[in-house]
Amino acid sequence: MNGETLLKVDNLKKYYADGAVKALDDVSSEIKRGEAVVVVGPSGSGKSTFLRCLNLLEMPTEGHIYFNGVDIMDKEADINIHRQKMGMVFQHFNLFPHMTVLNNMTLGPIKLLKMSKEEAEANAMKLLARVGLEDRANEYPSKLSGGQKQRVAIVRALCMNPEVMLFDEPTSALDPEMVGEVLDVMKELAREGMTMVVVTHEMGFAKEVASRVVFMDRGKIMEQGSPAEVFGNPRSERLKSFLAKVL
Amino acid sequence: MKEWLNELAAEFKLNFIDDDRWELIVEGLKNTIIITFFALLIGVAIGVVISLIRSTYDNNKEDYKRKGGVGYVIMSILNGICNIYLTIIRGTPVVVQLLIMYFVVFATSRNGLMVAIICFGINSGAYVAEIFRSGIMSIDKGQFEAGRSLGFNYIQTMIYIIIPQMFKVVLPTLCNEFIVLLKETSVAGYVGIRDLTKAGDLIRGRTFSAFMPLIAVALIYLVIVMILTWLLRRLERRLRKSER
Ligand SMILES: Nc1ncnc2c1ncn2[C@@H]1O[C@H](COP(=O)(O)OP(=O)(O)OP(=O)(O)O)[C@@H](O)[C@H]1O
Ligand SMILES: [Mg+2]
Repeated sequence: MNGETLLKVDNLKKYYADGAVKALDDVSSEIKRGEAVVVVGPSGSGKSTFLRCLNLLEMPTEGHIYFNGVDIMDKEADINIHRQKMGMVFQHFNLFPHMTVLNNMTLGPIKLLKMSKEEAEANAMKLLARVGLEDRANEYPSKLSGGQKQRVAIVRALCMNPEVMLFDEPTSALDPEMVGEVLDVMKELAREGMTMVVVTHEMGFAKEVASRVVFMDRGKIMEQGSPAEVFGNPRSERLKSFLAKVL
Repeated sequence: MKEWLNELAAEFKLNFIDDDRWELIVEGLKNTIIITFFALLIGVAIGVVISLIRSTYDNNKEDYKRKGGVGYVIMSILNGICNIYLTIIRGTPVVVQLLIMYFVVFATSRNGLMVAIICFGINSGAYVAEIFRSGIMSIDKGQFEAGRSLGFNYIQTMIYIIIPQMFKVVLPTLCNEFIVLLKETSVAGYVGIRDLTKAGDLIRGRTFSAFMPLIAVALIYLVIVMILTWLLRRLERRLRKSER
């Protein structure tokens, strides 16, 4: 159901170097189904750390993360099962170079969801067609442009039929002319109601797509709200000076 | 000049033709290749297991500690065993290992070939393990994260994503290990195995002429190594081309 809480983060802390670096300093947040949350903030403010804690690629030092109401940091919780429902897209694509585009996309569904090869491939081809890459299905990733790689990475995650998609600066490694094609795919996803958490420096995307913008600084969530509120009416000096730099 | 050639021909006949002594060389070569091949097979098997245990332990140390319990204890013990194995094998000469294997561990067995295969296998396993481990470490961390973020567990990620890429990276080094091993097996004669080196030495002992048989043996090693090196170069070029 849209509107119900999908991810809940309670007093999350992530320290490095025995507490000398507080990458996350007591962050709490709730992400509801159908929301497109865009996380912005200066470099080193903890955006990636926050995102990577959500699927426990980074193990928080303290706090709790609830996914569908289940505490995934609990010792008894099987994080692998939960991760199947959380797609992730990386700055550097991280496609598997030893597999074709199609095999990149079907590996998870076949091995983890126990889908038949035919079903997984049919599903993958449908998704590839949606991002206009059905003719590249049998290519190896090294033959693709950056924008194409990232589109494949997105649909690879979608093949697992996730409940939320996490994006960590998905366009930062792209040549400028390829940024648009990737953002378009993400916009469409948001329009279809996919729950998304996106770390990005693309303020245009944030304004257009975000249902909520979260501004992070020094490991804390400083301000959050609708794009109009955050961009149009910043309260803290930090956000003002950040916006002055990026807008 | 003619005289010298005649002498050479007589030497050749004495060392290789008379009493079908060439058969010793062929048998020796066969044994050398058998030992090398199967030892490398064992080495690769050991190498995969050890490198998996060691990198699993290194990568998940914190996780194990956090969850505690049996898993952590087992992994610590396995990792400790691996480290002891690596230290001993790499810290002692292979001839000594062979002698210990033959006269102590397998003292009741007179199947020298088998003992040699096991000994050289265990020996090369230590080196192959390190080759694999550095191969695993050379794979971009993002590959690992991509696998885990799809929901694969640690072992599945290794098997489907990391190890296939690792093999491609280490293939040249692995071929090189084969070459090294081939030459190392020349000490098999210490425990009475008739490998290529021993065959040359046997002929020398019977004909009392050292030049011909020993040079012949050296040439055979050299040719095999040169062929393997040539194949290795081609392989490297192929791999580099398929990279991008
Ligand atoms: N593995 C690590 N070890 C030590 N410090 C780390 C580690 N990872 C991140 N940090 C530190 O934690 C802080 C937050 O880093 P993080 O990568 O989350 O920032 P970010 O907001 O994503 O920045 P950017 O926009 O540059 O990607 C930084 O000060 C960073 O140096
Ligand atoms: Mg970042």
